[in-house]
Parts: sequence; C-alpha cells; structure tokens
Amino acid sequence: MIDLRGVSKSYRLGEVALPVLKGISLHIGAGEFVAIMGPSGSGKSTLLNIIGCLDTLDEGSYTLEGVAIEAASDDELAAIRNRRLGFVFQSFNLIPRINALRNVELPMIYSRVAPAERLRRAHAALQNVGLEDRAAHSPAKLSGGQQQRVAIARALITEPDIIIADEPTGSLDSASGHDIMRLFSHLHRQGKTVVMVTHEDEISAYAQRVIRLRDGLMEKDERR
Amino acid sequence: MIELFGYLRDIASQAWLALKDNWLRSVLSILGIAVGITAVMAVGTISKGGHYLVFSELETFGLRSVWVFRDRQDKDPHRVVRKGTGIDNDDYATVRAGCCPAVSRVSPLVYDFGKRQLIRAGNRYSNASVEGVGSEYTAITNDALVMGRSFRFEDEERRRPVAIIGPQPHADLFGVSQNPLGKEIRIGQQKYTVVGVLKAKSRSFLASIGSAGGQDANNRILIPYTLYQQQLGKKEINWLQAEAVSQDQADIAITQLSDTLKRRHGERFSYKGETMAQYIDTASRILQGVSLIGVVAASVSLLVGGLGIMNIMSTSVLERTREIGLRKAIGARRRDILLQFLAEAVFISTIGGALGLLVGTLASYGLALATGFPLAPSAAMVVIALIVSIGVGVLSGYYPARRAAAMRPVVALRYE
Repeated sequence: MIDLRGVSKSYRLGEVALPVLKGISLHIGAGEFVAIMGPSGSGKSTLLNIIGCLDTLDEGSYTLEGVAIEAASDDELAAIRNRRLGFVFQSFNLIPRINALRNVELPMIYSRVAPAERLRRAHAALQNVGLEDRAAHSPAKLSGGQQQRVAIARALITEPDIIIADEPTGSLDSASGHDIMRLFSHLHRQGKTVVMVTHEDEISAYAQRVIRLRDGLMEKDERR
Repeated sequence: MIELFGYLRDIASQAWLALKDNWLRSVLSILGIAVGITAVMAVGTISKGGHYLVFSELETFGLRSVWVFRDRQDKDPHRVVRKGTGIDNDDYATVRAGCCPAVSRVSPLVYDFGKRQLIRAGNRYSNASVEGVGSEYTAITNDALVMGRSFRFEDEERRRPVAIIGPQPHADLFGVSQNPLGKEIRIGQQKYTVVGVLKAKSRSFLASIGSAGGQDANNRILIPYTLYQQQLGKKEINWLQAEAVSQDQADIAITQLSDTLKRRHGERFSYKGETMAQYIDTASRILQGVSLIGVVAASVSLLVGGLGIMNIMSTSVLERTREIGLRKAIGARRRDILLQFLAEAVFISTIGGALGLLVGTLASYGLALATGFPLAPSAAMVVIALIVSIGVGVLSGYYPARRAAAMRPVVALRYE
C-alpha cells in the first residue's frame, strides 16, 4: 500500500545541502498502525510529510496504492490528499473563524460533494467522535482534546484509507492524549492504516509497528 | 453547469467568511475603491456638465453658422488704400438668389462700431447693442420669440421702422410686465415700432471666458439692416452670417461665399470666414483635455485603491499561510486557493465599486438638481464603473492570490 524505495531528501541551507533522509526503503501494508520515532533531526517528520504527499522526494521512488507519487502532478497530489489520506496535526489546524461542523465539512468542498450531503456527513462524523453537541462551537470554545477530535472527524470525512498523524498528542494533556490514541486504535480496528510520528514511548505503545530513525537512516523496525 | 455554480458559490462563501473575519480591514479597502469609483464618476459628470454648458451656449449662435468678412491681413498691400468692408447689398442679393449651393440661409450684419446711438422709449433708456440684420437672421441663430413676429423680407426691402428687442431692453424700456408690441422706441433720431421680443438665452459661460464677442445675448435690439445703413449713412455690410446646409458643409459654404465675393469685386479684396463647426471642434478639444486630466486624476485614486487591496491581500496571504497549508493538505488544488483569494479581492472591489457608484449617482443627481443640467449617469457609465471595479479587484488580487496558490504545503504548514 505504502511503498518507499531508496528515498533521499536534503534541504538547502545556503550553499550546503543538508541530507535529512539518506535512502529509506519501507513498506507499510493496508491496516497497519505504525509509529515513527526518533530524536529531533532524525528525519521522522520529513518522512511522514513525504508519505503524506505534502513534500517531494529527491531520489528514490514512492508508490501509494499503486500510484507513482514522484511522477504525479500537483492536481493529482491534491486529489490523493483529499480522498486517500486524512491528516491530523499537533496544532489541530482548525480554521478559527468557522464552527466545528464547517471545519469538518471543508475537505468535501474540494471533492465537490453537494451541500446537503456535506452537512449530513459532517454531522455523522462529529457524532462518531462524540462531539455532535459541539457542532456549532467555534474552535476557540473547544478544549484541546475536543479540537483534536474535530480534526480527526475532518480527516475521516472523505473516507480515506490512510491516516497521517504528526505528533497528534503533542499539544494535549496526558488524559486527552490517551483519549485520542484510543480513537486511533478504534480506527485501526476498523481497518484504517495509521502512520504516526511521536517521540513518546507511551503513545507509540498503541502502535503495532515502531520504526526508529536516526540521522536519516532506519535504525530499527519492530513489530509487536 | 450546476456543479460549477455550486463550486464557485462554495469558494465565494469561504472568501466571504474570511473578509468578515477581518471586517475593519475589508471596510477600509472597500472605501478606498469607493473613493476611486466616485472620482471616476465625478469626472464623467463634470465633463458631461461642461459639455452641456458649452454646447447649449454654442447652440445659441446656430450650429451651422458661418461668418464671412474681409480679410484685413497686414501683408495685404491694399489694406490701407482700399477702404471698406468689401461687402455690399448686391453681394447679399447675389447670395440670397442662390449663388452658393452649400448655403441655406444668409443675413447681412450692420454694426455701428464706436458710434453708439441713444436708445429710449419715453423717459426710459437702454444700453443695448443694435444689430442691423436681414429677415433670415433669427432663423440662423436659433432665436425664438416670446411674443410678436420675426422680420419679413418686406421689412428689409422697404426699410420699415420695425424692431425686435431682447429681454434686457424689454425690461429697461418698458418693464417686464408690459407688453411692448406696437409701442415706439427711438434709436438715435429714428423711431421704430416693436414687433417682436426675443426669448432669453444664456451665454454667460462663454461671456465669462471672453468668447461671446463681448456681447450680452439678451441685451440686443434687431432692426432691418437697410434702415440702419440709411441711419448710419453707409452702404456697406460689416459681414455676412450664413447657415450651411449641414455642419460638414460649413467649410465649403465659406469657400463658395468668399469666391463669390472675390469675383464680384474683381479680386480687389480677400475674404475669410469662421465656422461654428470650428468653434465646436475647439471647445471639444478643450473639454477633452480637461476630461483627460480628470480621468488621470481619478485613475490615480483608483490605482491607490487597487494598491490598497493588493496590500491587504498580501498581508492576508502571509497571515493565513498555515491555513493555506491546511487547505492544501485536505485537498485544495492551486486553482481552489487562487480563486478563493481572487474572490476576496473581487468582493472588496465590487462592493467598493457599487458604493462609489451609489455615491457618484446621488452626487450627479444632486448637481443636476442644483444646476438644471441633464447630468444623470448613463447606463453605459454604470456598466463601465462596475467592470472597472471588478477589473481592479482581479488585477490587484491576482499577484497575492497566485503567491498563495503556489505555496508548498509542507512549507506553509510549518510557517509560524
């Protein structure tokens, strides 16, 4: 499902090219729950961004559900992010001026779902994360845990197979963090593929496979 | 089609929400455009008013009028030796008989240059200028009469002592409430019977810029030129005023008249002419020049409004970098982002344009009420103002919108 072969990526810092990923090959199958770990600067966020089609790779190849990502156009990538991937960020990234329901609805505007259908599905998605009574609240009126659950509802709204999560509990207290992870485990049981970056061992404990990076190389790949 | 409409409506509603979120900033840029559009409308109204003012006054001379008179050039060796105006009554008769196909009407004009006559009726006096004219004169100059009749050919032919007076001598000699018809006035030693009163006409604007021949159009007394010649003791005509068959034929009319006069006087004099068409041309050119200055000034103010939009859109794009990254992450394509930001700019400029249009329209109606000129903005002007404001929005929003659309999602999401 996710297939990376010899992926390299470096960033330019002035004159110098700073290598971040130095040839990573990785296969993630459908339905896996993978945690990517490593110290800061190890390249874990870059790897996740590449898997999420948010960043491009310099060398190697990346095949996602049979599509060669390195050759895809901008519009094709947008469509893939829209329909096949759902994103959950550390800082939630909700749009502050619109309420929870309208935030959840947003991805469907870009996949051109009809307005009535959008509202129906957004309501259902909020219900699935236990926030149907908060639909009309603006993000500022929700707790961190609630905001992250709205973000998860938004990530799931176009029914993608893969959830990409970048430190999803990084801005939450421990109790809310565990709530969110239980939600992820639930999604995993439903058959979603989850790829998550974290630096906390107790969060990575929810995953069945832990990949550790160091200096742009894969150090460990453990399955539990 | 329905799907496209729904998509545009969705994008527009995203844009609208963003504008509402920053309402103060949006209102300020709306005002910037409104001022620009109002300025454009004001220039339109003012140049329309100026046009009306000048042309309604030029019209009082007759739009097809031409004037022919002796050309007293300094280099003419006969200038001093050959005295006279070079035009006599036989010339007039020749023109009247139909010498010149481009001329439809003609009248002689006899003036008393320098020798003003005392004008009185009973013990009341007038300082009107006296013009000796032919029977077709009032038709040539578009003069209407409020009472009485205009001259007939017999009046000039038989030197009848009849006069047509303007509104000013009417007031001075009789009082506005008195009917002067059939009453007697004296010009110098000669008695005249009033047969008509001219309708008032305005040349105040032309007079104010010194272009009405130094005369007040309302302070005139017209008498048959033949009797005036007798009274002044001369046999000449100062100039011929004629009406060309059309404005285009005015120059041809002058050539035909000058050639006729030259031939009849054995080339002893040379003649020149002026046409109303040429004054209209000059006036149009001046008005165009003035309008152009106004258009430039208004465009500058519109440009400033456009730069204002560009400025707030650039700020907005920068501030919302993370939002742009998020939108891209959840599936927005370049054109979705581009359209959203363009829509924001176009909303601002269109609302500003509509506001400017409203203010400009009210102002021109106000001015129309105050001056009595027909200054209502035309439908074309309204359409142009709206198209211009939408255009300003697109032009000034395009650059920031394109920058937003071109952002790489990973970079935008990381932006602090």
